[in-house]
Amino acid sequence: MTAKPEATQSAGRIEGGIDAIVIGASADGLAAAAYLGKAGLRTLLLEESAEIGGPVRARDIAPGVAGVDGEHLVRILDPDVINELELYRHGVNYAARRLDSVYYFDDGETLHLDGDLQHAADLMLDDDTRDQFGTFMREALELAAFLRPTFAPLRSTEDAQSTKQALDKSVRQASPEISALIARYALASIEDVLNASFDDGPIKTLLTSEAAFLSGAAPHEAFSFMGFLRCLAGETAGLQGAVAYPDGGVVSIINSLRRAVQAAKVEIRAAAPVKSILIEWDRAAGVVLQGGGQVRAPIIVNALDASRAYLDMIGPDALDIEFQRMLTAPQSHLASARLQITLRGVAKDEATKENLRRRLVFSPPPNDVRRAFIDARAGRIPESAIVEAIFPGALDTDAAVDGGQILSIVAHPFPFDQAPDARRRNEISTVILAALEKIAPGISEQVDVIDLRLPCDLAKVTGANIAAYAAKPTIMQQWALAGTAVSASDIGGVYFCGPEAQIGSGISCTAGKNAAKAALREFKKEGGAP
Amino acid sequence: MIFPAADIIADAPRPTPLFSAAASASNANIWTSINGWSASRVMTSIESEYEAAKAGAVIADLGPIARYAVRGSDAPAFLARVTTAPAQRLDPGDSARGLVLDDRGGVIDLAEVSRLSSDLFLLTTPTAHARRLKMAARGMDAIADDITEQVAVLGIFGPEASEALSAAGLKMPGDIVAASGMVRGVETAARPIQFGALPGVELIFPKEEALTVWGRLLRRGKVTPIGLDALEVLRLESGAPRPGVDFIAADRARPGAVRTPFELGLAHLAPLDRGGFNGRRGLRRRALESKRRLITLSIDDDASMPGAAVFAQGKSVGRITSCAWSPAIRRVVAFADISGDCADTNYEIAIPAPADGRVTARVFETAESALALDFRRSQNAATDFRL
Repeated sequence: MTAKPEATQSAGRIEGGIDAIVIGASADGLAAAAYLGKAGLRTLLLEESAEIGGPVRARDIAPGVAGVDGEHLVRILDPDVINELELYRHGVNYAARRLDSVYYFDDGETLHLDGDLQHAADLMLDDDTRDQFGTFMREALELAAFLRPTFAPLRSTEDAQSTKQALDKSVRQASPEISALIARYALASIEDVLNASFDDGPIKTLLTSEAAFLSGAAPHEAFSFMGFLRCLAGETAGLQGAVAYPDGGVVSIINSLRRAVQAAKVEIRAAAPVKSILIEWDRAAGVVLQGGGQVRAPIIVNALDASRAYLDMIGPDALDIEFQRMLTAPQSHLASARLQITLRGVAKDEATKENLRRRLVFSPPPNDVRRAFIDARAGRIPESAIVEAIFPGALDTDAAVDGGQILSIVAHPFPFDQAPDARRRNEISTVILAALEKIAPGISEQVDVIDLRLPCDLAKVTGANIAAYAAKPTIMQQWALAGTAVSASDIGGVYFCGPEAQIGSGISCTAGKNAAKAALREFKKEGGAP
Repeated sequence: MIFPAADIIADAPRPTPLFSAAASASNANIWTSINGWSASRVMTSIESEYEAAKAGAVIADLGPIARYAVRGSDAPAFLARVTTAPAQRLDPGDSARGLVLDDRGGVIDLAEVSRLSSDLFLLTTPTAHARRLKMAARGMDAIADDITEQVAVLGIFGPEASEALSAAGLKMPGDIVAASGMVRGVETAARPIQFGALPGVELIFPKEEALTVWGRLLRRGKVTPIGLDALEVLRLESGAPRPGVDFIAADRARPGAVRTPFELGLAHLAPLDRGGFNGRRGLRRRALESKRRLITLSIDDDASMPGAAVFAQGKSVGRITSCAWSPAIRRVVAFADISGDCADTNYEIAIPAPADGRVTARVFETAESALALDFRRSQNAATDFRL
């Protein structure tokens, strides 16, 4: 997009006639704008950079080699958003609707797991393992589905109260089986749950990795298992707990959201940074642009991180002190690393090709995972990490590189560094490559280009507060933060759907949907007629 | 200024700078702990101290009360945020009362703000709020220095307080306006304070000068040292609720125990059209609901009965939160926390065993309740901005 710098367009101007302004064209910002526009509100979407998509954006990682920053798989994309915004019509198409996973262990063993977790145990040969794993997955998926409504951010204290009451009621009325599952799983640590369910072995090892992956809570911490349940509550491509790869990569989700926004007749204004939000009599009245102009609207939906959305754009003097304290509370000390590498000379036999169309996971032993969390939290680069790798070129022919492959990797956990130097970056890459050697011995010799992205790199590109890209803490802490953040300090007309509003990691759009729906409810209540 | 509740578990309270002076003057030698500081409850006798306050001048050690010097270009905005006092409208020399509210509009504490000069404010609160103030100052050009431990503070009350100060050579404009300056070679800040109907002055000076100033006032000013128990009678007569006794600070209270200014009869200290104080949105939401009421009662009895049940038309509607025998009205004056829908003027109070029974009580108008009533009338006369 070649937008004219907003400063020259809007200096000194006051624009009106707009019902809603969405700040930030991340996935949630786009979803919110699409909902508002679709409901008939005259909506303006303001994005400070020239590109939309927030941290998810296409970028050349080497000359002529296109990569995608941000997520590389879809886990928890809200099915309501797909249906209500007609994202399939706007271009969402899955190259792989449920990726099978192959787990590689420290001792050289491997285990293939079907992408359909409901039936993953069926393929297992050993009777005992099949029964144990089958029972565990069935229970975990059942409980995750039961808890799904609680993983949506709430609009306000009143919403929180009513949701809590609804949850209390449903827990009281839950079947004895569900009650038993809640008692067994919901409050426990990953280690406690898995130790109680499995003997030492590959199943326990892979589940430890899956449950601890992307989490800011160490596997031995209370409530950490709830993070895994949140992942399992996702229903990507119609299959609970599945992991999917969209045609064109995750950036295609952004593109389809953009088409939904355009279809909803929302004006997208890129390169239009917002300086502040106008608050008049404790109500939103519009925004002041960096260029000096004003755009007035009674509804502001903010998809930026909470620090910028509130402390920078509204200012502490308009916020309650308790709200400010919550926003500035210490965040996670952990982060994930995203690595994209180009490989040359990948074998082209059918067996290799088939494996390249799977999700490849290196699962360190549970004790190593625990030690990795302790090291990373202390600021040390861990000796081993959980590594998830996919070959986009094998899944999606458009992503293929002439004569080679791109390997897209997410590794976890690493220290949350504000500004890591080259030596530290190199150490992180080395740990990831060592894990890749367990997946494909000798792979280091085939590496052409290594592109490492850490939270500080994403923050630099998007302008966000770096803390927004730290690993998410326990679900309990996420609930508390999300509940506070979306309450928008009770300023009328301000709605929030930034990263802090989301429960769980990955593209979801639930926060954007909820913010827009809350705004529409309020708009109608106050006599607005979209 | 009101003292907060005494510490329940006082583990070796610290001496205030005036401790040794107060200890010398204390014949009764009865002590308690306030905010971790030693505080004398009775000097000689409650009656004699009370009479001295009503007829002459009394001197009290106000060291346990928290104090902050606030500076910076955003100091007025900062104070208008952390308290409901109209700090932005204060000229040098002005003082104002207010409340510290949480985001729900619940009362955390009382507050007094004085503007000592164009760039220096003094914030006084019964309990300490250093962390809260530090958080509130983020993003603003304002610094709140906790000076509680660095200064000695004297309160001089009574109809002859001004004369006592003059006699001691400590007369400052402080009995009329808040001010700071050098008095007899000592850097001193002074501001007018009121304890109910009693006028008074608060003197703040470096702790090293504490004994000199106390001694000078005692020798030349002819003032009587007063302890907390006599001050408590004066407080109840003035109708000022005591934090931790008549209400629990909102940041420590369970949800049902949070009280708004309306419920405490202090709505006049937090008008909703007064700028952007913390908790105004929460307060506006709860403005029209009043689940509880804190009222002052005069009880036809001579015994104190905190915790006693309050009855209206035969039904239990609440409890006494604090009370004391008032020599002025020759009855017990009390605060009672009662149901918000109870609007009676006559009540009955349960008497514990062995007497077992009920005594009559009626609503008692105080200086504070009169202010609240005036405020309510002015609000009813104006357009209701809350809707």
